[in-house]
This record gives sequence, structure tokens and C-alpha cells, in this order.
Amino acid sequence: MDIQFLIELIINGALTGLMYSLVALGIVLIYKSSGVPNLAQGAMVMIAAYLIWMFAHLLGIPIVFAILLAIVGMFLFGMVTERLLLRKMVGQPIIMVVMLTLGLESLLRGLGPGLLGASPKSLDLGLDMMPIIVGDVFINREYLVGGIIGGLMVAGALLFFRTRIGTKLRAVSDDHVSSWSVGISVERAVAISWGLAGISAVAAGAMWGSVQGVDWTLTALLFPAVAVVILGGLDSIYGVFVAGLIVGILGSVIPGYVDPLVGGGTRDVVTSLIILLTIIFRPHGIFGREDIERV
Amino acid sequence: MQNTASQTAPVADAGQPLLELANVEVIYDKVFLAIKGVSLKIHKGQMIALLGSNGAGKSTTLKAISGLLAPERGLVTRGALSFQGQDMLSLSPPKRVARGLVHVLEGRRIFEHLSPEDNLLAAYATRGSRQRYQELKEQVFNYFPRLKERARSKAGYLSGGEQQMLAIGRALMTEPELIMLDEPSLGLSPLLVQEIFQIIREINKEQGVSVLLVEQNAAAALEVVDYAYLLENGHVVMSADAAVMRENPDVQEFYLGGSGKVDYLNVKHYRRRKRWLA
Repeated sequence: MDIQFLIELIINGALTGLMYSLVALGIVLIYKSSGVPNLAQGAMVMIAAYLIWMFAHLLGIPIVFAILLAIVGMFLFGMVTERLLLRKMVGQPIIMVVMLTLGLESLLRGLGPGLLGASPKSLDLGLDMMPIIVGDVFINREYLVGGIIGGLMVAGALLFFRTRIGTKLRAVSDDHVSSWSVGISVERAVAISWGLAGISAVAAGAMWGSVQGVDWTLTALLFPAVAVVILGGLDSIYGVFVAGLIVGILGSVIPGYVDPLVGGGTRDVVTSLIILLTIIFRPHGIFGREDIERV
Repeated sequence: MQNTASQTAPVADAGQPLLELANVEVIYDKVFLAIKGVSLKIHKGQMIALLGSNGAGKSTTLKAISGLLAPERGLVTRGALSFQGQDMLSLSPPKRVARGLVHVLEGRRIFEHLSPEDNLLAAYATRGSRQRYQELKEQVFNYFPRLKERARSKAGYLSGGEQQMLAIGRALMTEPELIMLDEPSLGLSPLLVQEIFQIIREINKEQGVSVLLVEQNAAAALEVVDYAYLLENGHVVMSADAAVMRENPDVQEFYLGGSGKVDYLNVKHYRRRKRWLA
């Protein structure tokens, strides 16, 4: 068997996986502080990509500043979403909130292409397109940058949750009423987590927009991201990192060998199987927390 | 606010009370009338008990004060609530905490997945100084040395007593003027209850923090407080100095286990006849 082919699949799979982690991170950030699985995260990535594209290509702002503006914009977008939609849902059954995020995702998916045209826009981050060649292994440069950014974002999130505000967010995810009782503003904590999810959507939107162009298909990133958060555990930042690697590598290696035999499309099957098998055999994921039972 | 001992003696109606409830009425779900016009006062430095049996409205009264009725669809429909002369009813729960009013919930409700140390950090003001945080943390560890030993383990795995200590310590991190404790004795051994009540009394004396203690365990509570209110069916039916309360024959009969030779068969019956309906 061609070992180089395998190594190439693994490395590029791992990098793709870390780019899935970028999308998944937003879901975990929100879940960790409010217990809401945000199904609109894929759409938020798309909106973020559109924002960068608008700033950079319509207004001609240099790409670095376009991304910074998008970060501000998406942070506000997250905060406003909490304020206008989520706050009304306090005390409602969780299924209602999930449906709300699903509604938000459809709305956004329609809104972006509706206003800006459905044809894919290319987003140029100014990255060199030439693959890096190590030995005989080809590494996609964009995926390398994306993977590194994914790793950095995860590290940043880990550090954030050790700060005072991060600790308050973890407290909120533990117990809303008890957080109120010691003066933590639950509403503000949840708003901050939505804002941060908006920021991580910018990182994801920039990288994925650059890789596959900006159009509604970016919302489909929700699917691998959901696989990542389910496998890693909905409330675990470590989980996002490790599960991102696993989903990426399996989603690259298996199709690499099987696709030529069956004619393609195995990646989605692999992703679905990861979701199904995790839910059956380890419902809280690899690192997700179990409820504490004191004996 | 490093006030020391002196002012813990029961203060008579001198000056403006720290906390005042006037005729407060709470309705749950728009239909269930839980407390029906409760009035009470707490002066600075006082330690007061709010006694009563199950369902008398003790917890509801505390939640009305701290603003935590909303998650249970409760609403203060009548009456006034002032703290340090300011109206509290219009403020959100976190704002009330910022004014110096903190509520230790029934059943402890610590942040189970956080370490005890992070529990303390989470309760400390976002904008407070690092140094003040360290001071407050040391203070909590001084009162509850056992928490220091386990500062980095998961709080959910602490024993019941330690969790109660953590809940109280966490409340102290908010630098309160008034700390309200809902059934801190719940599920703890009598010895531990005594220990915790003594520590609460020490905190009250040394820090000058006023205490409102809600208890079903009237005997233990009356040992440590200055003054007590007795709640039944959503009404205050009696209020007196702790010593007076202890000597009252009805209180002895119903809340302190009688004079020793209680005829349990007839207690319920007797009680039904002698309801303190105001």
C-alpha cells in the first residue's frame, strides 16, 4: 500500500478536522454557558464570511481590517441575537429553544444569498495557493493555516474559561438560579457567549470562505461540526480539539480508500456514523461531563 | 466594613432598619397565594430567624427579598420592600446582590462542576480588585478551613456539610450587608448544624453582617439568633426576642418538641384546633 498516500490523507484530514473545530467551537461556547445547542452556528459562519467578503471586496477594505470589522460585527450579532431572541425563551422547554435556533438558521441561510446574490463569491485572504511539499507529501497551505488557527482558537478558549469572566460563564452553565443568587448576570453571561460564538464564526467563515468560496453551502458545515461536538462532548473545549482531529482524519482516510470503489460520497456517511455511534455508545461524548453522583 | 462585636445585641426600633418588608404578598402562577402580607424588619448587625413549618412561606419570603421568584413564576403583588432605605422590588437579582443582599439557597446549590475555589471566584465582583479577592478568599478559608484543604477538587464531590460551608463562603464573596440562609441545617447531623450555626454567629459578630436565618429546626436556630419571627400559612403570627420565643408554651409545643412528655397522637389534632390564624 502506498504509505505516502495514507500520510497525506491523515495530515490533510487532521487539518480539515481542525477547521471543523473552528465551527464546532462556537456551538460549544454557547452550550457551555446556556445549555442551548445552537443549530444556527453554520449559518453564522456563512454570515461572517459574507461580512468579510462585503468589507474586503465591495468596500475595498484591506483583508486584515475587513476581518477585524467582521469580528466586531459578529460579536454584536451574537449579543443582539441573545437579546432579541434567546432572552424571550428563558424558562421555556429546551426543545423550543432548539427549534428557535433552527428557525434562525433557515432565516440566515435565505437572507445572505437573498440580499447578495446566490452565485458563489471568492474570498481572497492573500494566502499562497501553492501546496507545501514535505518529502513526497503534499500539504494544502490554506488548510495548514486554517488548522493552526483552529488550534489557536481552541487554546484561546481554554485560557478564557480560566479567567474571572470565563469562570462566571462556567458557573452559569452549572446553575442559572444559583448564579443569580450570587450576583452573576445570567443574561449578560449568555450574551457574551453568543458574542464569542460570533467571533469564532468569523475565523471559521474566513478560512472556509477562502477554501470553498462564499455562498449558502457554508451553512452545511453545521453537519461535521455537530459530529465534532457530539463526539467530543457538547461542553468540552478539549473535546472540540480532539474530536475535530478524529472526525477530520476518519473523514479523509476512509473516503480516500473507499470512494474510488463506490464512486464517492463516503465522507458524509462517515460523519453520520460518528454521530450515531457516539450517541448510542457514549451519549455525553469523549470529554463531556456526566452528572455528578455522590455516593 | 470591618465592624466588630459591639452592635449585635437586639436593637430595638432605633433608626432606620437595614431591611424592611411591609405587607408583602406573593402569588405564584397568578393563582396561588403563597404569602399574605408579611411584614418584618432587620436592623444592622442583627441575627434574626424566620421560623415555621413546611409550606409556611419562609422560602417564598426570602425569594421575594432576593428577587428569585421569577424563575418559579412568582410575583410580589402587593407591599413594599426596602433595603438601606431603597426600594428593591424594581431591581434585578444581581443588582440586589451588588447592593449587599445575598441569598444562600435551600439545598446549597453550589456550582458542582467547578472547584470550591472557582465557586468563590465566580461569586466575586467582575470589577473587584485581585487583592480584595485574595483577602475575601482567605477570610472564607479562615471560617471554613476544611474548604481550603479541598479547594481544587470538584465541588460536587464535597460532603453535605462542606457544600453548605461552600455555599455560605460563596455568599460572603459578594461582601454582603445582609446574608439570608435558607435551611442551612437541611440533611446535616445535629453536631454539624451546631458547628455551622456557631460559625454563622461568628461571621455575624466579627464582620457586622446581618443574618436572616430561615429554619424548620427552631430549637437550633433559637439558640443563636437575637430575635425571631414565626410564620404560619403565609402570615407572621408571632415575633419576639429569641429568649421570649423559647419560653412561649405554644412555640415549645409545636416547634421545640414540647416539654418532654408530648402525646404525639394528639399533637396534630390539638394543633389543628389551635392554628394561629391571624
